[in-house]
Amino acid sequence: MSKEPLEFTLNGQKESISILPRTRLIDVLRNELGLTGTKEGCGTGDCGSCTVLLDNQPVNSCMMFGLQARGRHVTSIEGLSQNGELHPIQQAMMDHGGIQCGFCTPGMVLSLKSLLHEKSTPNEDEIREAISSNLCRCTGYKKIIEAALSVAKTSSLSSVTKEDNNIIGSSMVRGDAEEKVTGGSVYAQDVSFPNMIFGVLLRSEHPHAKILSIDTSDAELIPGVKAIVCGREVDMGLYGYELRDHQIFALDKVRYIGEPIAAVAATSLDIAYEASAKIKVTYDPLPAVFDPEDAIKTEAPLVHDDANAYELDWETERSGNLCYKLNLSDGDIEEGFSQADFIVEGSYETPVAHAGAIEPHCSTARVDSTGRATIWTTTQKPFVFRSYLASALKRPLNKFKIVPTHIGGGFGGKLFPSLEPYAVLLAEKARLPVQMVLTREEEMACALLRHPSKVKLKTGVKSDGTLVAQSARMIFNTGAYGFYGPNTAALASLMVTGPYRIPNLDVTGLVVYTNTVPNGSIRAPGAPQLAFAVEAQLEKVARTIGMDSLEFRLKNAWDEGDVTCLGQKLESVSIKECLTKAADAINWNEKREPGVGKGLACLWWVSGQWGTQTLIESNEDGSFRLINGCVDMGTGGLSSSVIQMAADGLEVRPELIQLVRGDTDNLPWDHGHGGSRTVFTIGESAYDAAINLKQQILKEGADFFGLPLDQVYISEERLCVRGDPSQSVSLSKICFDRHKKHGGPMVGVSSSLPQPPPTTKDHPIGGFSAASFCAHAVELSADRDTGEVVVKRYAAAHDVGRAINPAGCEGQIEGGVAMGLGLALMEELVEQKGKIVNPTFADYLLLTAEDMPEIETILVEKPSKEGHFGVKGVGEPPIAPPTGAVANALMSAFDIDVTSLPLSSEEIARLIRERHHDQ
Amino acid sequence: MINNFNFLQAKNIKHAVDVLAREERVCPVVGGTNVLVNMKRGPLPVDTILDLSGLSALRSITTDDGIISLGAGVNVAELLEWSKANSVAAELFSPMCSEFAGPLIRNLATVGGNICDASPASDLAPPLLALDASVVLASKAREIRKIKLADFFQGVRLTDRLPDELMTHIEFQQPNDERFYYYKLGKRKADAISIVSVAISIKYDKEKVKRARIALGASAPIPFRSKSAEEVLFEKAMDPQIVDSAAAAAVADSNPIDDHRASAEYRRRMIEVLIKRGLTKIADERVNSR
Ligand SMILES: Cc1cc2nc3c(=O)[nH]c(=O)nc-3n(C[C@@H](O)[C@@H](O)[C@H](O)COP(=O)(O)OP(=O)(O)OC[C@H]3O[C@@H](n4cnc5c(N)ncnc54)[C@H](O)[C@@H]3O)c2cc1C
Ligand code: FES
Ligand code: FES
Repeated sequence: MSKEPLEFTLNGQKESISILPRTRLIDVLRNELGLTGTKEGCGTGDCGSCTVLLDNQPVNSCMMFGLQARGRHVTSIEGLSQNGELHPIQQAMMDHGGIQCGFCTPGMVLSLKSLLHEKSTPNEDEIREAISSNLCRCTGYKKIIEAALSVAKTSSLSSVTKEDNNIIGSSMVRGDAEEKVTGGSVYAQDVSFPNMIFGVLLRSEHPHAKILSIDTSDAELIPGVKAIVCGREVDMGLYGYELRDHQIFALDKVRYIGEPIAAVAATSLDIAYEASAKIKVTYDPLPAVFDPEDAIKTEAPLVHDDANAYELDWETERSGNLCYKLNLSDGDIEEGFSQADFIVEGSYETPVAHAGAIEPHCSTARVDSTGRATIWTTTQKPFVFRSYLASALKRPLNKFKIVPTHIGGGFGGKLFPSLEPYAVLLAEKARLPVQMVLTREEEMACALLRHPSKVKLKTGVKSDGTLVAQSARMIFNTGAYGFYGPNTAALASLMVTGPYRIPNLDVTGLVVYTNTVPNGSIRAPGAPQLAFAVEAQLEKVARTIGMDSLEFRLKNAWDEGDVTCLGQKLESVSIKECLTKAADAINWNEKREPGVGKGLACLWWVSGQWGTQTLIESNEDGSFRLINGCVDMGTGGLSSSVIQMAADGLEVRPELIQLVRGDTDNLPWDHGHGGSRTVFTIGESAYDAAINLKQQILKEGADFFGLPLDQVYISEERLCVRGDPSQSVSLSKICFDRHKKHGGPMVGVSSSLPQPPPTTKDHPIGGFSAASFCAHAVELSADRDTGEVVVKRYAAAHDVGRAINPAGCEGQIEGGVAMGLGLALMEELVEQKGKIVNPTFADYLLLTAEDMPEIETILVEKPSKEGHFGVKGVGEPPIAPPTGAVANALMSAFDIDVTSLPLSSEEIARLIRERHHDQ
Repeated sequence: MINNFNFLQAKNIKHAVDVLAREERVCPVVGGTNVLVNMKRGPLPVDTILDLSGLSALRSITTDDGIISLGAGVNVAELLEWSKANSVAAELFSPMCSEFAGPLIRNLATVGGNICDASPASDLAPPLLALDASVVLASKAREIRKIKLADFFQGVRLTDRLPDELMTHIEFQQPNDERFYYYKLGKRKADAISIVSVAISIKYDKEKVKRARIALGASAPIPFRSKSAEEVLFEKAMDPQIVDSAAAAAVADSNPIDDHRASAEYRRRMIEVLIKRGLTKIADERVNSR
């Protein structure tokens, strides 16, 4: 078909181009005109990341043919700022912390701009409605709404004023905010090269089948096809995290629906799909197993013929489909139960869930003439990816250079390679750059997901409310491969007590292979599953003994010096403070109307460690470069808090420190973004590097004045002499002289690997560094007949140790609560015989701005004794307690027992009906 | 396999029906919110896309001699503004439109597209069924054809529209003294697909129901009116027993799907709950307004 002319006005300028009729408006902007600020999160109208204004009305640019824009006015994010001046809503989004990963930001800004254009003073409900098509997975919408209100000036929240000049504890605007709010940030899908071709994967249609043959000959004949790769021609290695059981292509058999069998690259995506459909795979179907409880029976079909053959770093018992088994005990469980006045039992299940980042996976690879691959990709762990690729493709590490792009949300969904190895193989074979993007359906159905769980609990309690014993049997379905299965079970085992004293404990954790999509390491792996089970169980226990839920929790919650089931002696414990504050925020003791319930849930969590190295280098003008190999997946940990900590060490304004973005060739090694570690581990290392650099600066200054080191200090970007205000020299002169005259810049360096606190028992996870504590409280009502829930109030109290950037901490908590409420109420990937039947944002539901309740975010600051600042990680924990808190509120409102997530309207209506039917 | 098609922009209705008559495998498109979703999932089985979005003739809402006519090209956002401004069946249109998808899609999705797509979960259909609307179709070969919306739907995504026909508008009698109820049950507050939706219109004659129209969405392969429930109510006073029987009759007429969004059992229960609520609300309003 031939191209058709398209004339329209884009951002005030006439455009005149020719396009193929099938080209959507989003493709016109992104591909034809190179304006990549408009993002594609789904392509099916469900996420709003592609929002543009069409004659001033916001619409999804993925839902229009480009030719439909003929003669019309289109505004994209690039057209919003005028003469270099940001639109007020853009500025407000930056100032109020409304931007995290930034992937939703352009669409969000345009929807708000249109609202503010129509109504100069919209109220909060109107704002929520106006952005209810724009999904944000990061922020929980609160700060976005505040930003809009500040522009609308309908609230006392006008522009953000800086209270004082303290660096630590101020909500500095993240360094990449302006780039993100103007649509200038480069995400993986924005990378492009001349001659770039497009790759797709051919995936298994069977949950379990032998591959008898793969015939690519017809596919190869299609014009435009540049490379086809399948497993038999690749020297594949096994890779994984602790457990190495995965190869990139299925070879002799497929183990789940969606497992990659071959990869195809062609000059267009359409051709690549056509070719992949022409590859003939003959299968011999095998009996499959989907339920983990069936899978551990002796007669079950084996997902892996010999699971024991795979390398695993941890001791365990393995056989059949049992991938990993963990036992953990404390005290004497029999003795504990014998002391109990009441014994309560319960079973709890959670479904498969998705990380839910709005940005789908995307990788672009180019292989040079020496066989070295450069991969632009959306990854939380660039350096670890290099190792995964080296193992998976059996090549030396230095054959790979990973260039991390901006990440449109990670949440643990971008911790393992997804497209990278295939893009490399295709690029190598085609000798052309290859880009691969997961479709939203693939993203939801084939990316590594959150482990579904089945947890059985038995709890012993005395009539005065003292918990004496608890046993747990947890089963995690890891799917066809292990990935983070063992780790999930191990972390979950430490969640069985919650932050409560339970002296006698017995935990069994089973990780089981089945013929389902493998699961990975989604934000706080194991925690929402266990927070749901344990907190719902405790609600049952409190009800059994007739005790108020708050009083019961306070009675058993940890105090300073209490000892965990591993024998870790706890320091800076704040759980009671968190509980009281959260409960107070929703007026816990006030009388409740019928049909209204309140619920509480607590969690403790780890601040992640792993090694890192930070360099801070002085520039000639007295500014600095901060160099670290981690990436910021959107939290702002790196682009605000870490900078603030370095600035505090150096005693300079944070604005003087620039975060260097780079790749695995030019940055020092770091473990990556995950595990609530960024501010705790990298921030501390940045501070140490800053102190190291400051000593060098002071030395230069002392030499300059000919004084001893302790006679000089840094203040207001000058080196000053103690007791003599007349003498000082600018930092820039010191840096310049040193740089130009005496051998280059000064560099502060710090390598660090925080050590976990000691325990008395061996455990694969071990002690929790800078353990953090939190408590959530919710008030909600539900319709007894339809089961529809209205969350009326929500409070989340988190001990962050020290709030380096309070707005950043709040953003993590608010976004986490939105995700946790999603898990509690609506998020579920439905698996039927190994096939995920709802792999879209139309059917896998994230909370919209209209679903997100009012939330009060309470920062508790009880500094950890580890590290200079005493920070505790806050990235992961907020997502877990909502599951338990919502369950408990429903239990108390309707005197029901909840047993599974999500608590959909249907499920709630069923529970209420069954409980009250025969009365 | 590959999306290759011609793209024609209709200049006026005559041009549109000419193209529909002349070309094979033509797909009209207006808002594109069904067509582009389909295109994302796989190649469209069409040779020509006929863009109607520029046809102002399809975008008007008129009232003539007591007949209200909604142009097929009117989008949901425009329908919402119109129903608010004119308070025509606003109790049906306002909640339906404001809970239809989200604001972005509402600026694209059209009345004609929604009706011609004939999804069982169409949110526009139940209110229009409760207004006893008729679809108006134009073609080159035949006279203008009018067909009751209730007869237009033939099955899941199947309508009575012939390939050469263009839906120009949908029309209904201006309501006069009817009482309405609308409820959409979805899985979240915005941008949700209906689990069940209910639209009710009741006209009284003194204490008795003179005419009842009970329409349901996502409750069968097509949006439909429950004739049995309407019969139960006919010429009865709406007391609780009658309300219960009407709700039960509607459930009996329904045939909802059992899928990952909701079980058939839940949908049936909700049909009953919502119809009872709606009728009770209307009956109570009647009592209160006396
Ligand atoms: C994210 C999302 C959310 C949604 N939420 C809802 C919802 O809450 N409720 C709901 O009911 N629907 C919902 N929908 C579907 C809804 O948007 C569509 O049904 C819409 O109304 C179709 O209108 P359109 O103009 O976009 O149709 P198009 O996609 O342009 O066309 C739809 C179909 O109708 C045909 N057609 C269109 N106009 C004519 C005409 N004049 N004559 C003949 N044939 C015609 C087309 O050929 C095509 O087959 C949603 C869709 C998306 C993508
Ligand atoms: S990309 Fe258009 S709505 Fe998601
Ligand atoms: S900031 Fe909204 S999706 Fe990340």
